[in-house]
This record gives sequence, C-alpha cells and structure tokens, in this order.
Amino acid sequence: MNTVDLKTLLKNKEFILLDGAMGTLIQKSGAVYDHSPETLNLTRPELITSFHKAYIEAGADIVYTNTFGANAYKLEGSGCSVEEVIAAGIANAKKACEGSDALTALDIGPVGMLLEPAGTLRFEDAYDYFKQQVVAGRDADLIVFETMTDLYELKAAILAARENSDLPIIATMTFERSGRTFTGVSPASAALTLSGLGVTALGVNCSLGPDELEPVVAEMTRYTDLPLIVKANAGLPDPNSNTYDILPDRFAQCVKALLPYGVKFTGGCCGTTPEYIKELKAMLDGEHFQPCPKSTDTAVCSASTAVEINGPRIIGERINPTGKKLFKQALVNNDIDYILTQALSQVSGGAEILDVNVGHPEIDEKKMMVRVLKAIQSVCDAPLQIDATKPEVLEAGLRCYNGKPIVNSVNGEEKSLSAVLPLVKKYGASVVGLTLDENGIPKTAEGRFKIAERIVKRAEAVGIDRRDVYIDCLTLTVSAEQEACRETLKALHRVKTELGCKTCLGVSNISFGLPNRELVNSTFLTMALEEGLDLPIINPNIDAMTGAVRAYRVLANIDKNAAGFIASYNDAPSAPQPQAKAELSLADAVYSGLKNEAAQVTARLLEAADPMDVVNTMLIPALDRVGEDFEKNKIFLPQLIQSANTAQECFDVIKQHLGKSGNESVSKGKIILATVKGDIHDIGKNIVKVLLDNYGYTVVDLGKDVDPQAVVDAAVEQDIRMIGLSALMTTTLKSMEDTIRLVRQTPELQNPDGSSKCVVFVGGAVLTEEYAMKIGADYYCRDAKESVDTAKKVLG
Amino acid sequence: MIAPERPDRRETIRYLGGAGVEMNAEMERLMDDCEKQLLACARPKYLYKILELPQDSLTEGEDIRRHLAGCSRAVVMCATLGAEVDRLIRVAQVRDMAQAVVLDAMASVAVEQVCARLDERIMAENPGWFMTFRFSPGYGDYPISLQKTFLRLLDAQRKIGLSVSDSLLLIPAKSVTAVAGLSASPVPRGRRGCAVCSLRETCQYRRNGEHCGFENTVKE
Repeated sequence: MNTVDLKTLLKNKEFILLDGAMGTLIQKSGAVYDHSPETLNLTRPELITSFHKAYIEAGADIVYTNTFGANAYKLEGSGCSVEEVIAAGIANAKKACEGSDALTALDIGPVGMLLEPAGTLRFEDAYDYFKQQVVAGRDADLIVFETMTDLYELKAAILAARENSDLPIIATMTFERSGRTFTGVSPASAALTLSGLGVTALGVNCSLGPDELEPVVAEMTRYTDLPLIVKANAGLPDPNSNTYDILPDRFAQCVKALLPYGVKFTGGCCGTTPEYIKELKAMLDGEHFQPCPKSTDTAVCSASTAVEINGPRIIGERINPTGKKLFKQALVNNDIDYILTQALSQVSGGAEILDVNVGHPEIDEKKMMVRVLKAIQSVCDAPLQIDATKPEVLEAGLRCYNGKPIVNSVNGEEKSLSAVLPLVKKYGASVVGLTLDENGIPKTAEGRFKIAERIVKRAEAVGIDRRDVYIDCLTLTVSAEQEACRETLKALHRVKTELGCKTCLGVSNISFGLPNRELVNSTFLTMALEEGLDLPIINPNIDAMTGAVRAYRVLANIDKNAAGFIASYNDAPSAPQPQAKAELSLADAVYSGLKNEAAQVTARLLEAADPMDVVNTMLIPALDRVGEDFEKNKIFLPQLIQSANTAQECFDVIKQHLGKSGNESVSKGKIILATVKGDIHDIGKNIVKVLLDNYGYTVVDLGKDVDPQAVVDAAVEQDIRMIGLSALMTTTLKSMEDTIRLVRQTPELQNPDGSSKCVVFVGGAVLTEEYAMKIGADYYCRDAKESVDTAKKVLG
Repeated sequence: MIAPERPDRRETIRYLGGAGVEMNAEMERLMDDCEKQLLACARPKYLYKILELPQDSLTEGEDIRRHLAGCSRAVVMCATLGAEVDRLIRVAQVRDMAQAVVLDAMASVAVEQVCARLDERIMAENPGWFMTFRFSPGYGDYPISLQKTFLRLLDAQRKIGLSVSDSLLLIPAKSVTAVAGLSASPVPRGRRGCAVCSLRETCQYRRNGEHCGFENTVKE
C-alpha cells in the first residue's frame, strides 16, 4: 500500500515525473502478442512489470498501466475481458511500485470508434465503454485519459470517471502540427472545457516532439489555472527504421523550455525510453515549478472555437419559439433543418454565441434540447447558451454539450439557486444570473444589485468563479415604465464596477409598443454598452444592432485599428443589387437557377396575375422542363437542385402573398424520410428531401442512423402513408430490410385485410431494383427525380 | 503529408452523373467556388506498410488472391482528406444542397488523387519493384469487414485520425483503405472493371452504354 497520493505529490514536489512509452519497450523487446498489446498483461506479466520498474528506477513518480486500449470494443475477439486485462495491468504496475512512492495511473485511451456527429458512436455509449474501464480499474491511484483527439469523447470519459469513481483524473489530448487535434479541437477549448469538468491537471501527449509543442502549451495555459502536463514524442519517427529523431538530452532541454508555461507533470510518449526519463529527472533537479495563472478573464467555447468575453460579444437570440409561428411549427414538426438554418444565418450576421431555447408545450423539451444542441454543434462553431427554466432540461443540455456553454439562467429565488448552480459547477459552464426573485423584479437599481450580490455569493459558495457569472439586470418595456430604463442601466453599471462580474442583457424588450423599434433598440444598446454591457442578446441579422456593437468596439478602443470593423464591412456590396432584366422570364430564371432574379420576377408577376396561375402556368411547367432535361441527361444533379431551390424561393414569395390575402397553402401530403440504422451518409436522402419539399410535399425528416422503430413510431403518430428509406452501404442494407419488415408487421400500419397501409420507396448507391423488391419495398428510385415521380404517383 | 491538389473536373462531373452534360457559366462558378472551399480545408494524410506474403488474414476471397497472384509482398495503405471535409459537406447540406453534392463528388475525386500520389511514392521508395493497382475491401468478394483489420494494422486512428464505425463506414467519410501487390518481376496491374466500381449503379457512362475510360478500367 502506498503512503502517498496524488494530492500529497502535488503539494510536496516541484515536478511530477511521469513514465515514458510502453509500446516502444514492448516493440524493442520483440514480445509477441495476439490481437492487442494489452493482453501481455496476462501472458507476460513479469515483462510488463519490468518495464514499469525501469521507469520507476529512472525516476518516474507515476507509471501508466498497460491498458491504453483495454476497452470492450478493442478487446473484442482477443479472448480476454476488460476486467481481467485491467486487473492484471494494475497488479503489474503495483508490483513494480512496491518499495517506492510511485503511483499507479489507470491508463485509458480513445474507444477506437468516432463519436457523433462525425461518427456513429453515441455519447452515452462512449460513456458506458469508459465506465466499464473505470470500474475495473478502481484499485489504481489515479485515472489518466490520454491521446484523446475528440473533446466530446474525453468529456464522456471524464463524466464516467467522476460518476463512478473517487480517483483524481488527469487528461491529455493529442495535437497536430496545425495546432488542432484530428477532429479540430483547439488547445483553448480543451483547456476551458477540461478545467470546468474538474480534472486535476491537463495537457498534451503524443503526436509531436517537445520542440514543436510550444504554441499548443502556450495557448492552453492562457485559459486555465491548472498545472499542465507535457508527455511528448521523441520527435518524429523515421518511417523505415521506426526510430525517433530527438535524443534524450535534447528532449529534456526542449521540455525545459516549456516549464515557464506552468508545466508540472512531464514524461515521454512514443519513442521514449527510461533514458529519456532519466534525462528529464536530471534536468528538473535544478528547476522550480513556475505557476502560470490564466491570462484570460472568462471565456466560453465549442470544441473548436473559444470566445473570450473581453469586450462586447453578440449573443444571437433567434433560436427561440417565443412569438415566432414558423419556429413553433418547426419544433412540432421536428424540422431541425429550419433551426440549423437560423443558427448559420445568425453566425453569418455577426453572432459570436447563440442562445438556444426550444421550450414549447406541445413537445418534449428535454429530448428536443439534446437533439437541437447536437445538431447545431455538428454544423456550427459558435459556443452556445442553453436557455431553459427546467433544471432537467438544463442538465440534459449540459451533459451533451461539447465545450463550455453558458446556462441561461439562474435567478435569486432559493429554488433556482439550489437547483441550477450545482449543475453549472458540475459541468463547468458559465451562467446568466437574472436579478429577480420570488418577489419579482425590484423596481430600483439597488434592489437588483442586491440580488446580483446574492447570486454571486451563492455561486462562489459552490465553487463557481464569479467571472463565470454573467448578470442580467433585466430590460423592461419603456413604453410601460419609462423610468425603468435608467434603473436597469444604473444596476448594470454597479454590477460591472462593484461586483466585477460580466453583464448580459436582452435588448429588444425595451421597445415593445413603440413605432420604429429598431431605432429605440439600437439607441438603448449603445447606452447599455457605455455602461459596461458585455453580452447583448440581440437579433444579429438586423444591421443596426450588430453595427452598433461593432462601432462601439472601435470607439471604445477595443477593436484595435478597427481591424474587425473593416473586415466586417469591407466586402459589403456598395450598391443595391440591380433589378432583374425585364426580359428574363420566370421559366428561364428557374431553369438557370437564378434565385434572386426569380423571386423578383415572381413578385412582379403577382402584381397583376393570379397566384395560382403563376404556379400552374409558369412555375410547375418550368420545374417539369428541368426534370425532363435531367432525365435526358441534358443537365445534371447540381443544376436540378439549384432549379428546385429557385422554384422554392418563388413559392415562398407566393406563400407570403397568399398569407397577406388570407389563403392557406395546402401540402400535397406527408412523407417520412430516413437514412437507415448504422448509415450516416445521408446526402442522398437530403437531396430527395430538397426536391420533395420544392414539389410541395411535407417531409418528416428523421435524419440518419435511424432505428426501425423510430420510423414506425413516426408513421403511426403522424398517420403517414409514404416512407422513403436510404442506405449507402452494402453493410446497412440489412437495416433497410429490417425497417421495411417492421413497417409491414406493425398492426397499426395494416389495413383490415392485413395488407400494408404504407408505401415504401427506397434508394441508395448500392441498391438495385431487384434487391429493393426482394426486401419488400414498393418502389425503387434510382435518383431524387424518380422519388418525386413516385410521390406524384402515390400522393398525387 | 500530401498537399491537396485540384480535383479533376471531368472526374467530378462523372461522379455527379453528369457525363455528357454541357457545363454552363453558372455551373462553372459553382464548381470554382466549391473547389476553393475544398482546397481550404482538405488535410490529406496517408499511411502504408509493406508485408511479406502470404498473409492469410488479409487475403480472404478469390478476387484478392487473383489480384495479388505472382506478388511476394503486399502494401497495405489508407488515405483520408480529414474530418474538416466531412464537416464542410455537412454544413453545405444545410446552406445549399447544390454545393453539397458538388463538394461531395469533388472530395471523392480528391481522395482518389491522394491515393494516386501515394502509389507514386510507394513506387519511388521501392525501386526495382512492380506494383499492381489498389484493391479495396468491398471490391468483388473481398470482405469489407477487413477495413477494421487494415486500420488496426496501420494504427490509423492514432496516427491519422481514421477510424471505422460498427457498420464499417470509414470516418472521415472521404477516405480509402486498399492493398496492392509488389513483385520483383513485372506483373499485370490488375483490372478494376465496372463490376468492382462503387459507382456502378449510378454511373451515367454505364447508363448510356459508354465507359468512363478510367485508367485501365474494363467494361463488363
């Protein structure tokens, strides 16, 4: 039994020396193993123990067990269980530690499969893989996660460790020369997120030599107060001889150069041997630990992008159903693409953080929050603000979020403080604090300041840094309470200067009931910025609002040399777009895929013509001509899609026109689309969706990797009679067959005579008509155009 | 490890099923724009390893044995454009589907070009040896499940971030695994006909009864 633990080591030692590579020693020894090197724990325990011993003799304070790939996925087919490989791995290391103060770290690497959204492994399943390893390794002294390239996977790992063990955790990620990991994680995002999740130390291992790690280490230390870990490769391998190019003495000198960045743990990765550890020890003997407090104030991040709140930053408010009919409709219809479009257009408009609120009485808010957060993070780099009142929705969102988010919000009520703040702490988020409590919103600045003080105190009590609390002093409608505006601004100023917190404010409320709201909003925004507003929550697609923030940054000397301002406006079109040429016909515009022109022509036509005439005598024939030419191979797929999208623009113009005159547009019928279970290549399905949309059908898009049961559930719940399935790979055709079988077997989807109520059409690169019929489909569609033809046949 | 190069336009059009289509200015613009985006985020990487034959675990099926006949060594290889390209295509699917299909096709062409460069390097580094064409798991009766074995053998997840899902999809998607034979004496490069082409069902050339003319490809 060891007398020391990691805490004692941290306190007593200037530096903590880790071991060098295990794989390199195994390779050099020529030891033979089946399947994976971890099985040597069982077949050659004395050999593995001798490697650990060699590192301890060289000076290592901590040795990593030979369990890097000992998870259920990688050991499959090895004939060994996770439990026995890990138990043996720990026993081997502990045996080597006997008679010294060295500690045993349970070593855990990536699962080996990529997580959603890039891969198919679900976050929850990754958690289970790690949980099994953590539980099997409970006799270790600490847990180390290393060589991670996906921050999301590492988050699953850390949560699995924290929720199933009391051992301290250290974590390192692997970066490329580009300064990012393979999945695009930045050092800043890694540092922010891991610090928040409660690891003891964090840093970098593998991929590069210590001579190339300076930029990564320098960026990390800016965003964390924690000690850093550097466990570098011995330079680069020679592909032929597999030897590395940095020798032990130079290795130690390169690490020495990194010490000023707060490096406390160091050791070696690929290519290093006990020689390297000996040199490191000799070098460290003459050095002192140089703590390096973070140089950033507060920041939030996605996996790739960190946003430091060091001046006004725009939070986009548009992902919120309040007062938005289309958005509510999208939520009810599960139309995630609508929400993604909102996300991307806000970022294009200038939003740096996006608020996400999906509260609506007709839907399961918790499920929807998880689905929307994951979907937005798959296409958008901006950090997100999770906006909900129910703690269970907040927790579900915090769990599945990749990075460090903002929680919106906590308030001064006891119930809120005790439910929300522990979640913010556990998941390492920032939080918006609303200055209201059980008695409502105080009228005076003093009353609001008091609540802000209380929120900050309570946050600090659970271990949240006050810099991560963003106080919202609440905007009231000036047309109802004209004196309230001054109070809000006064409170904001005091919070900023006296509490040292960042501030945020929803701006648009100010102008309810007034004409020219934009003018009132932007003026109020400018006043608030001058009082110290950091995080305006606005519609970034309104130029006056985004412009006010950008201009303020220049005038307040934050945007140095106006570089950001100039970049934002330099390539803006100087003149309005010219009107479409008079001679361009609607048919030609649609055929050529000229969206703006087609919309303009449509609007002009509607001034004189009947909307249905425009649809029936111009738009539909134009689309038909495109379809025919596609079939004749005169045009090809991108053109077909562009024309269809152009027709959509025209339909939108017509719909708006009809909306004005009170008519309701009619859908031609609902169709379910899904890419089958196991398949994540959904571009084919998405092309079909665009076309069906444009031809007037309502598509219920279930996405990719869809469980057969989910298809059946959607058909039953929404009473849908037409189902389209897509599969790209031969390996996933089986799922297509399973899905069709389940549809046919479900009693709710059968007619009284036992025949199926549903028409199933299928498509995909490897599918043939013959095979489609064999697995029970009604129609085989060779391409997207045939899907539309099939829909016409079935639904009219 | 290999600088991204411009994807071949003709091949891209073929992947898009547009063989024989006349390109207009609008389409040229779309393609130029996509090409710029793709080149900005492609990070081509590859790995390979030369093994002495026979390797029973790598040569399951008639087709691969025929392909490697006469070879004493095999080169196992993989290549990828990187995760950013997948993301680019994902985002395009939300923003503009026409762009997405062009990017998707271009990326497929680009990863084939990376493989071609890799072939050249392997040949240059092994003077005096003759090499067959690449043959990938999933061609003919060569089991696609071998992708997993290839990637483990090459330590591809750790070294270049290339992995495979439970349903044997390569991730990032724009990636290739393959094996080629090496022989000390001249060998036929092997034939990669329509029968083993992944585009066989959608290829417009094939539909038109024509042929793409891809390097040494044969019509069925």
